[in-house]
Amino acid sequence: MRSPRESRLRAFAAKVRGFLRAGRHDGEFDEEMQEHLQRLAERFVAQGMPRKEAAAAARRQFGNVTLLQEDRRDLRTFLSIEVLLKDLRYGLRILRRTPITTAVAILSLALGIGANTAIFSLIDSVMLRMLPVQKPEELVQARIQNPESPNDEPFGVFTNPLWEELRDHQDVFSGVFAWDSTPFDLAQGGAVQRADGMFVSGDYFRTLGVRPAAGRLLTASDDRRGCAGAAVLSYGFWQEHFGGAQSAIGSMISLDGHQFQIIGVSQPGFYGTHIEIKFDAAIPICTAAQFDGARSRLDHRSWWWLSVIGRTKPGITPAQLKARLQVLSPSVFSAVVPPNWDPKHQENFRRRTLATVPAGTGVSYLVRREFGQPLNILMAVVGLVLLIACANIASLMLARSAARHKEIAVRKALGAPRTRLIRQLLTECVLLSTIGAALGILFARWGSALLVRFISTKSNPLPVFLDLSLDWRVLSFTAGVAVCTGLLFGVLPAFRSTRVSLVSAMKGSHAADAEHGLRLRSGKWIVASQVALSLVLLVVSGLFLRSLVKLVTMDIGFDRNNVLLVRADLHTAKVAAEQQPAMFDDIEGRLRALPGVVSASRSLLTPVSNRMWNDILQVDTPNAPTGDDALVNFNFISPGYFETLRTPLLAGRHFNDSDTKTSAKVAIINEAVARKFFPNSNPVGKLFRVQAEPGKAAPPIEVVGLVKNAKYDSLREDNSVTAYFPITQVPEHAEVQSFELRTAMRPSALIAQVQDAVAQVSKVIPLEFTTLAQQVNDSLMQERLLATLSTFFGGLALLLAMIGLYGALSYLVTQRQVEFGIRMALGAPQTSILGLVMRDVALVLASGMAAGIGLSLATVGLLQKMLFGLAARDSVTMLAAIGVLSAVVFCAAYLPARRAMRIDPMVALRYE
Amino acid sequence: MDMKKSEVLQGTLDLMILKTLHALGPLHGFGIARRIEQVSRDVLQLNEGTVYTSLLRLQQQGWIAAEWGTSENNRKAKFYSITKRGQKQLQVEAENWERISDVIGRVLRLEAEE
Repeated sequence: MRSPRESRLRAFAAKVRGFLRAGRHDGEFDEEMQEHLQRLAERFVAQGMPRKEAAAAARRQFGNVTLLQEDRRDLRTFLSIEVLLKDLRYGLRILRRTPITTAVAILSLALGIGANTAIFSLIDSVMLRMLPVQKPEELVQARIQNPESPNDEPFGVFTNPLWEELRDHQDVFSGVFAWDSTPFDLAQGGAVQRADGMFVSGDYFRTLGVRPAAGRLLTASDDRRGCAGAAVLSYGFWQEHFGGAQSAIGSMISLDGHQFQIIGVSQPGFYGTHIEIKFDAAIPICTAAQFDGARSRLDHRSWWWLSVIGRTKPGITPAQLKARLQVLSPSVFSAVVPPNWDPKHQENFRRRTLATVPAGTGVSYLVRREFGQPLNILMAVVGLVLLIACANIASLMLARSAARHKEIAVRKALGAPRTRLIRQLLTECVLLSTIGAALGILFARWGSALLVRFISTKSNPLPVFLDLSLDWRVLSFTAGVAVCTGLLFGVLPAFRSTRVSLVSAMKGSHAADAEHGLRLRSGKWIVASQVALSLVLLVVSGLFLRSLVKLVTMDIGFDRNNVLLVRADLHTAKVAAEQQPAMFDDIEGRLRALPGVVSASRSLLTPVSNRMWNDILQVDTPNAPTGDDALVNFNFISPGYFETLRTPLLAGRHFNDSDTKTSAKVAIINEAVARKFFPNSNPVGKLFRVQAEPGKAAPPIEVVGLVKNAKYDSLREDNSVTAYFPITQVPEHAEVQSFELRTAMRPSALIAQVQDAVAQVSKVIPLEFTTLAQQVNDSLMQERLLATLSTFFGGLALLLAMIGLYGALSYLVTQRQVEFGIRMALGAPQTSILGLVMRDVALVLASGMAAGIGLSLATVGLLQKMLFGLAARDSVTMLAAIGVLSAVVFCAAYLPARRAMRIDPMVALRYE
Repeated sequence: MDMKKSEVLQGTLDLMILKTLHALGPLHGFGIARRIEQVSRDVLQLNEGTVYTSLLRLQQQGWIAAEWGTSENNRKAKFYSITKRGQKQLQVEAENWERISDVIGRVLRLEAEE
């Protein structure tokens, strides 16, 4: 007795054999069939039927041969795989037959999918990707909530005493660590280079679960006060600079002049816990004492520098975590109150609380905040581009299916089920989109590399580094987009074309086919939607472009061109504090004397440099601004500053050599300060004070000059209240200063001479060079990114829409050839034909525009925050976009329209 | 009674082929079709091609074997013969049919007796 399972197994085995010996089996069966048919026919002949009839009768008695063959094949072997392969092979042949259309389709898709993938992989590394450590979802970053500003985001920087207090008294984390990223001058042997360093607490690697690739990693015992310190290298740095040699372990490196022994290398793929900064070498926090000297940051209660992350204990819910930290906070903060603050601020300090945010994706202080919103906008933009590309391909497929309707009709007559036909057409589409996606991944890699290079600039305090290797998330996104695209533009034409009416298809007359009219209308819908989407993109890119232009061309209060900025660090050069002012003076003099330097000056801060110093001004007038309203930006400058930067002096005088450290305290203020603190009067000669710590003197400062407003921190700010003081009168922290040199030629040409001049004073002063123009430009990063990319994609979309329109219109004209031919034969002038074609174009254009305008007006409100100087619903931009689009549409329509006009009626009428 | 072509269950065709081969020995596809036509006295009008589908199925289960040979008019033809397993299967199926027809017969007689 046979069991059902055995039967199935037997059949399965036979199917495998059948799959392997496909060709031979088919041939043998054909022979058998032919034989059978022949014998049947002979029987009929023997019964008296004429030959021809006998053959037909035999076939009728036998049944549908093709169906029989298909059924056999179903039985004989695995249906799906073999059919799929056949469909694929057939699909490839079809695609090769129309190379241009196929190439256009693939390219459109590749660009659409590539753009989407590039932006998504950027979003992935900036926002979504988890750190490559153990169970990153358990990590949270500790932050400090200020009770006096409860609506502000809690800030994430700790002092060392605060960190140690938290570390020693917490009971909610199974592990907690602190770190700070900072650049070092790394020396090994003779060569010195700038490297990315990291101070880490003892439990850093252990809590994260990072493993060593060589040697060992830092532990808690390495981070004790008074330690000699040891260094752990990152895998990438180890490979790049030591060639991955084992001998590196145990050798010495010097960071900012301090020697450390290399004890190990961290695992490959681990770049630290800041997503935008990698690390080259990590040393324990206790070594900070070696760098700082007497008043080290380890005991400083107002030196904020550490970030803190903890791993939540298993079983503790977020609510419990929050509650417990609230309870712990008072004792933690009270233990480390800064002693030199006034009582009110000390009380606020005690009332601060600890809060946490999830930190599985790492910590970002720059990139996420700056680029989160723009990236989302760009995602929407490239999504639209992809839709337009899909629309292109849908109309391409529609046109192609029209050409193939005879073939499809024949196949239907042979008995092919509709699902089989649809499946074959869909396979073609998926094939197309897969090739497009593969090409798109390539485009995406180049694209994201370019993007990252765009984003990293010199005046971001730390260079931006993003790990952009494609991971499974990006790949599955691309695959998903590819499949969806394939289905999206395959479904509509597939369903339509398989509804072919057999009779009319066989007869070959197109016009009579109701299906044909439907096809034409679908084509028009597709083009109209492309027009609408293109308009939206044009409006968006127009808005961003105009914002950028306004930002770039506005008056910023100084002349940014041809100014070289040189930043000199005398602290790292180990120059004694009392010698620094003289040395800076000396350097400034030498730089001023260089040939090619028109004017020179120095200052503590340069404009738009991401560095700020602000303080509260106090004036003895009634209704004077107080508190946060009296906050003013400060800068400390040498006498030649305004001349070098070309900020006009409106009243009073510049600083000069008689303003020294010991002379009367003076200041120059800008118009905004004058308007705020000394309204309706000449500020020159007036006095003010700077709010000082309680118990300290606040000497009166005399205003000696008035200058025009200049941008201080950002080009978008609309209130740059700035007060300038002589650099000789700077109270503290002036060991790093910047020189501004206005040059007669390209600023970068002067770098070598500047280095020589400084070397004559001292050979060990580290210098950083940039130009003022570059610095201002870098601050416009976000705007430039949005303007460039949206314009690029807008142009791309326009190109795709133009191609689509050209194709659709060509097809339309071809289809109506007979009609046009008849009209012309009946005497219609060429211009009336042109009118017919143009009427169609105008209709499509108008409906597309209307939809596009509606869509734009509804959605541009979301962009208002990103724009500068214009409203989101700006009419000039809208009109310009409409104009550009109309021009493009008519360009695309020109050639097909001309072809319509030139139709030879005789040729047209014979067209089948 | 005219049975519609599509109502010939595939199982019964398999059974008929097995029986034919058992009774007449090795036969080619054409011969099998003629025998079935004869035996069913033209009541069953199936598309002859479906015989070949059944033959493939029986081959896959291992109940018949196929071999190329020469037919009675000296042409090349594929001959099918029943295997030992096929004999066993035939016996089992035949018994099933007997049992079923017996039961149905009894049920029908029951009605008549009422």
